[in-house]
Amino acid sequence: MAHPDTSIVSPDAPPVQRNWWVYLVLAAVCVINFLPYLWMVMTGFMDNATATGQSPQWVFTPSVEAFRFLIFEKGIMENFLNSLVVSLASTFFSVTFGMFCAYAIARYDFGGRDDVSFWVLTNRMMPPVAVLIPIFVTFQTMKLLDTLVGLIILYTAMQLPFVVWMLTGYFRDIPRRYEESAMVDGDTWFQAFRKVTLPLMAPSISATAIFVMILSWNEFAFATFLTSTEAKTLPPAIMAYSIGANISWNVLGAAVVLVTAPLILFVLVLQRQLISGLSQGVIRK
Amino acid sequence: MTQPVRAFGARTILSHGGGDVAVSRHEIERMTHIKTIADAPLSPAEPAEGRRRGIWSRLGPSNPAVFPWVLMAPTLIVLFAIGVYPFLYALYIAGHNVILSKPYVPRFFVGLYQYQAVIQDPEFWSALKTTIWFTVQAVFIEFWLGLGLALLFQRRLLGAGIMRVFILIPMILPPLVAALIWRYMFYPGAGLVTYYGGGVTRALGWGEIPFLSDPTIAFHTLVFVDVWEWTPFMFLMMSAGLASIPRQPYEAAEIDGASAWRVFWTITMPLLRPAMLIAVVIRTMDAFRTYELIVVMTRGGPGNATTTLNVYLTKTGLEFFDASKAAAISLVMMMVIIVMSFVFIRALRSRTETAE
Repeated sequence: MAHPDTSIVSPDAPPVQRNWWVYLVLAAVCVINFLPYLWMVMTGFMDNATATGQSPQWVFTPSVEAFRFLIFEKGIMENFLNSLVVSLASTFFSVTFGMFCAYAIARYDFGGRDDVSFWVLTNRMMPPVAVLIPIFVTFQTMKLLDTLVGLIILYTAMQLPFVVWMLTGYFRDIPRRYEESAMVDGDTWFQAFRKVTLPLMAPSISATAIFVMILSWNEFAFATFLTSTEAKTLPPAIMAYSIGANISWNVLGAAVVLVTAPLILFVLVLQRQLISGLSQGVIRK
Repeated sequence: MTQPVRAFGARTILSHGGGDVAVSRHEIERMTHIKTIADAPLSPAEPAEGRRRGIWSRLGPSNPAVFPWVLMAPTLIVLFAIGVYPFLYALYIAGHNVILSKPYVPRFFVGLYQYQAVIQDPEFWSALKTTIWFTVQAVFIEFWLGLGLALLFQRRLLGAGIMRVFILIPMILPPLVAALIWRYMFYPGAGLVTYYGGGVTRALGWGEIPFLSDPTIAFHTLVFVDVWEWTPFMFLMMSAGLASIPRQPYEAAEIDGASAWRVFWTITMPLLRPAMLIAVVIRTMDAFRTYELIVVMTRGGPGNATTTLNVYLTKTGLEFFDASKAAAISLVMMMVIIVMSFVFIRALRSRTETAE
């Protein structure tokens, strides 16, 4: 457990803070940061009458009315599934492609290497909305509008620069001599890569994959304009179902629960992998 | 004596007494007359017996000039298809008249007309001003709040772990959800802020505050929500930066009896500069392209008080279907961003060099 009080403390560490104002400020910050989300989640479990009441109800009997409406009348599970397929597939492709690219940049000293890695990064700097129009027209002509395949290709490209950028740094941290000794032992390049490099990289790769997956899961602008009925993912679906002519707040709350539940679960379950992956460098030197 | 241990690209790590020192390869070769292995191909030491001949072996790991390009090919192809091609296509569209809702209108070449139309559109300039003003305000406030929080967490606090989780929540939420939450909070007659805040302001005799319906207040509301969402990010980056500052200068300052204020400005701030720059650059780029927040909360209104470049672009292209003008806007926007990133990269380089 990485509890701050049990961590190793150097002899000259300052004493535990006892100023009340520090805690007052921090408590206020915690409330401001957490309360809005908590309130939204609570609203998701209210029935319509409670949610539209004159004053905020802090105590109420929970109801799944809004969830039932979303699932059975709006069929939001279909959007949920679309989101899942798109983010899993784009994560798989961007990590697989990006891994080899990062390996090449980290391991080989070829002409134009710096130019390539810089060019890959510049792809990340473009605001997505700036390429929206040409992509929209291209998708229109290639019949990719409102298809999962189109979204998967697009998200793969969007996430690749980030993957390459992260993994290049991690590959540099792994000593080259491990692979070399495997190859001296008679393994081919690919065997050495698979048996030696990949296992060492596993924490970093999974941390990167988690980030990429969250980014794809959250993506909104492209999903709104490039999908309509068949391939609509969760974020634009939430907009469509809950922000209409009159907003039903409990439906919005339920939708927020549905879209954030996997994220929160993910972060809670994989917290340790995330931290260890990001702070990898244990075997450095 | 110095001896090469291993070679990574153009730099070699030498074990030099106790610590590792990075020296350029040529220096080592000059000093030791030993050829370093930086350019040695990463290939099996002895050829495997059944190695395939022909084109595959020429593209394979034994060819260090071609093999990296083979490894990079899928990435480069995808990025070309979704990065470069749309860019070229945007150039084409911006040079013609394409109206998405009227595909039957014949397309013809219009030269630089679309760019002229953008430059002469007062709404473009107002959007640019709004974007820059929004970015500057939001990043400025986020920076100081994040730094302040990170400094508070430098002290030993009871329950620091759990407080950190609560503080980081806004950053974990999808941007869309953050925007929806605050739309709810500020909604007249429904949200917590309007209910309790309205109670206070009515008691003071000010009436209700039009959080999202007054042009000036709506803009500041958006800045507030952006600050709420991204201060945790600044906090995280600043904490990492503070953690990497060595303790010695502080001990020296303590011996000299320097005041806390002076220690902060002469030690903490200069040593934190690389981390500060990276955090500010990332945030500026992101704030510049804020989209969900504005679309969900105000749709660019009231009037065009909160219309940023992104919103202006999507309105032109996908609500008025003037694809050519939108493409021209996006190209102008790209130019702004390229100039910005060059300035940032230069600043980063010079800073990190002085930091070394």
